[in-house]
Amino acid sequence: MDRRKFLKQSSLASSLFLVPSFVRAFEEVASSKLGYKRLVIIQLSGGNDGLNTVIPFRNDLYYKNRPTLGISKSNTIKINDDVGLHPSLKPLKQLYDKGYLSIINNVGYPNPVRSHFRSMDIWQTATDSNKYSQSGWIGRYLDHYGTHPHSAIEVDEKLSLAMKGETLNALATQDAKSLYNLSRDPYFKNLAKHQNDTHLSEHNLGYLYKSMIAAQSSAQYIFETSKTVSTKKEYPNNKFGKQMKTTAQFINSHLQTKVFYTALDGFDTHVNQLNTQKRLLGIYAKSVEAFVDDLRAHNTFKDTLILTFSEFGRRVSQNASIGTDHGTANNIFVIGENLKRQGIYNNVASLNDLDDNGDLKFEIDFRTIYATVLDKWLEVDDKKVLNKSFKQLDFI
Amino acid sequence: MKPKHIQHLYRRVGFGLLPDQLQTLLKKSKAHIVDGLVEASKTVTPLRVDTSEIEAVFSGNMMVTKKLSPESRRKIRKLSREKQMEFNLAWMERLTDSTEILREKMTLFWANHFVCKDNSITYIQQFNNTLRTHALGNFKAFVNAISKEAAMVKYLNTKQNRKQNPNENFARELMELFTLGEGHYTETDIKESAKAFTGYSHNLRGEFVFRKRQHDESDKTFFGKAGNFSGEDIVDIILKQKQCATFICGKIYRYFVNENVDENHVNAMANVFYRNYNIETLMRYMLMSDWFYDKKNIGVKIKSPIEFLVGLKSTVPITFKNPKQWLYMQKLLGQILLNPPNVAGWKGGKQWIDSNTIVLRLKLPSLLLNSAYISKVKTGKADAKIDFKKAVFNKKYGKRFKADANWSYFNSHFKNVKMSELETHLLACKINDNTKAYLRTLDKPSKQEYSIQLMSLPEYQMC
Repeated sequence: MDRRKFLKQSSLASSLFLVPSFVRAFEEVASSKLGYKRLVIIQLSGGNDGLNTVIPFRNDLYYKNRPTLGISKSNTIKINDDVGLHPSLKPLKQLYDKGYLSIINNVGYPNPVRSHFRSMDIWQTATDSNKYSQSGWIGRYLDHYGTHPHSAIEVDEKLSLAMKGETLNALATQDAKSLYNLSRDPYFKNLAKHQNDTHLSEHNLGYLYKSMIAAQSSAQYIFETSKTVSTKKEYPNNKFGKQMKTTAQFINSHLQTKVFYTALDGFDTHVNQLNTQKRLLGIYAKSVEAFVDDLRAHNTFKDTLILTFSEFGRRVSQNASIGTDHGTANNIFVIGENLKRQGIYNNVASLNDLDDNGDLKFEIDFRTIYATVLDKWLEVDDKKVLNKSFKQLDFI
Repeated sequence: MKPKHIQHLYRRVGFGLLPDQLQTLLKKSKAHIVDGLVEASKTVTPLRVDTSEIEAVFSGNMMVTKKLSPESRRKIRKLSREKQMEFNLAWMERLTDSTEILREKMTLFWANHFVCKDNSITYIQQFNNTLRTHALGNFKAFVNAISKEAAMVKYLNTKQNRKQNPNENFARELMELFTLGEGHYTETDIKESAKAFTGYSHNLRGEFVFRKRQHDESDKTFFGKAGNFSGEDIVDIILKQKQCATFICGKIYRYFVNENVDENHVNAMANVFYRNYNIETLMRYMLMSDWFYDKKNIGVKIKSPIEFLVGLKSTVPITFKNPKQWLYMQKLLGQILLNPPNVAGWKGGKQWIDSNTIVLRLKLPSLLLNSAYISKVKTGKADAKIDFKKAVFNKKYGKRFKADANWSYFNSHFKNVKMSELETHLLACKINDNTKAYLRTLDKPSKQEYSIQLMSLPEYQMC
């Protein structure tokens, strides 16, 4: 039995049970009655340049390292005397002003790997950088606490490693209706009906059967539940905008889904970074703005936490192609209505204390953020999911 | 050689085998069959679409100036998009029809190893044929050729890699993805080797150009050796690492044999490969090994979308009214030829399957071959309404996929196959017991209807 169920059940059965957890257990019961907390993860794929996202415009070293790539002080959207946001992030500044944004700087992990795929794997599996895992952190959350594949949904064509568990996978869908239409054939229903658990544990073939059965039941549920809600809110007309719109539709129809996952690709800016990043951050910020408005209109924003990350930041110095090469530490955005620490969580990176490679040194292990979200937001045992204990932060 | 071993071999080095083709191979020995596959793939038949229109724009412009006008640029981009689609379809046809089976399957394999994409059809076509040319050749020559391909020079920014300001992208992926694997080199190795590839560039026509003035002539320290290394020297030093042979063999093993690696077998392969990095020798060794035909290696791999689609259309040829629908199929199933997700390529295996793709894969055979209809009538009850039902389904789904299935092709190749033998020809693995029990309750009105039932099973996804 998982901790949460255990606590809930024990607290209901006997109020004298397990005294230290007693108060906490009642809190949990209360919070689950009050609302249904959801986590939305947004991945900026390719390694977003954090230094040109949260900009230390007062630091001479910044402009010295980036003579033609640095964002000028006048173009920066200032949020305090030293730090500003990229000009494309105006919508984010509005969230910041309302106290809905927390920026955590210098996030990374020990012994950073500068390969996209490896670093992405590390972020998605939450393992040490010299270890490999076949399951992702949300996948393991599902293993322990998920009840259905649709307990977590990736609003995309494919499922990321983050969403794959040892025993349960999340569900990937961009369009609930077409998934449902394809899966409803009676032949497949009969195939599914005739299966029992023993054969489903067989290697790849068992995996296919399990996937088929899970897809059928979840597709029906998602389609029938979410079709009741539609939005009039305008989203940017691009793939990411549509993903965020679908996510909002799922949330606003009160789907029993705890985690949503989306991604915006294209941040690998080795060449001519300025225009690419400007365009991408614009898409990101406008979509998130529409998303937050949409949730607020449906009174679901209070139960939603949005986490934005990228697999690494980029090198401090620009390269000869007015781009940047792969770096290390980066910033994370946490967006929500009930943040404990609003605004800038910690100072931006020191530019005069770089590693041997000319990269930023990390200050906060990204897994301390996961641990915090798991424990304080999703209210589960973070150690079970992360296989390790991490100290927690206090942004929520 | 046992029939199931011949089928296994052809499913892995190709996309399956029709029953009458199997018949002609039955009496041959393993050596004879493997030799035949290798011999048939000695020739290289380049794959080309007509790009003269694009070249005309190029040459017209180059007479006057080295740079293209914005108008020509737009025109080329548009033409290039159309031609790239045409090339994709031509590649699918090639995979279905070629006699150089092994070479073509290897080309597909290498395309997911030396991963590259570009919007210029001229460069991509040239790159694709370089993969095909070296697919069974010498690995060292292969790596060097790849490092000088215009598409790759562009894709991994070697073009921007200059003496004053090195760009490390190619150097990193060369070691991480193309030769050694993550963790078998240091950050210094990357920085130093990047210097050796400075000056690599290409001209508009897609020919390799070495820009001497941008090349760093200083000494580089790489894997403990120091010297004024060129790009080719770096490749030499990398290939001297046994790890390179092991890495490549591991990848070939996972693709052709089993995702679960038997290290003894991979090491044995690496010993063969390390001697002279000859790919043909390595493939022959692998295909001749007894372990290749072990029970645990048969029918345990999940087909890639291309293996699934090409396999399907090799059994029953399918013609779309609009051939672009093939690209749409590739997109929906998660593998568009010439358009990999990133430089690491497709991960494969279970990664091919999620809720979307499994549902579509199970549905596609009936959608494309049988007007979306799967016969599922209980034995003993006549299904006189098959044609009527098909018409109903066709009306409902036919709009999405306007396809014609050539069943007479299937009928002629499966003429001597009994209903009870269909399973072994269409499926690489045994049917799960529960499913078998369900299938037994169903009527098998014809070979055609039963084949659709079989092709709509999760078992059909295995090879």
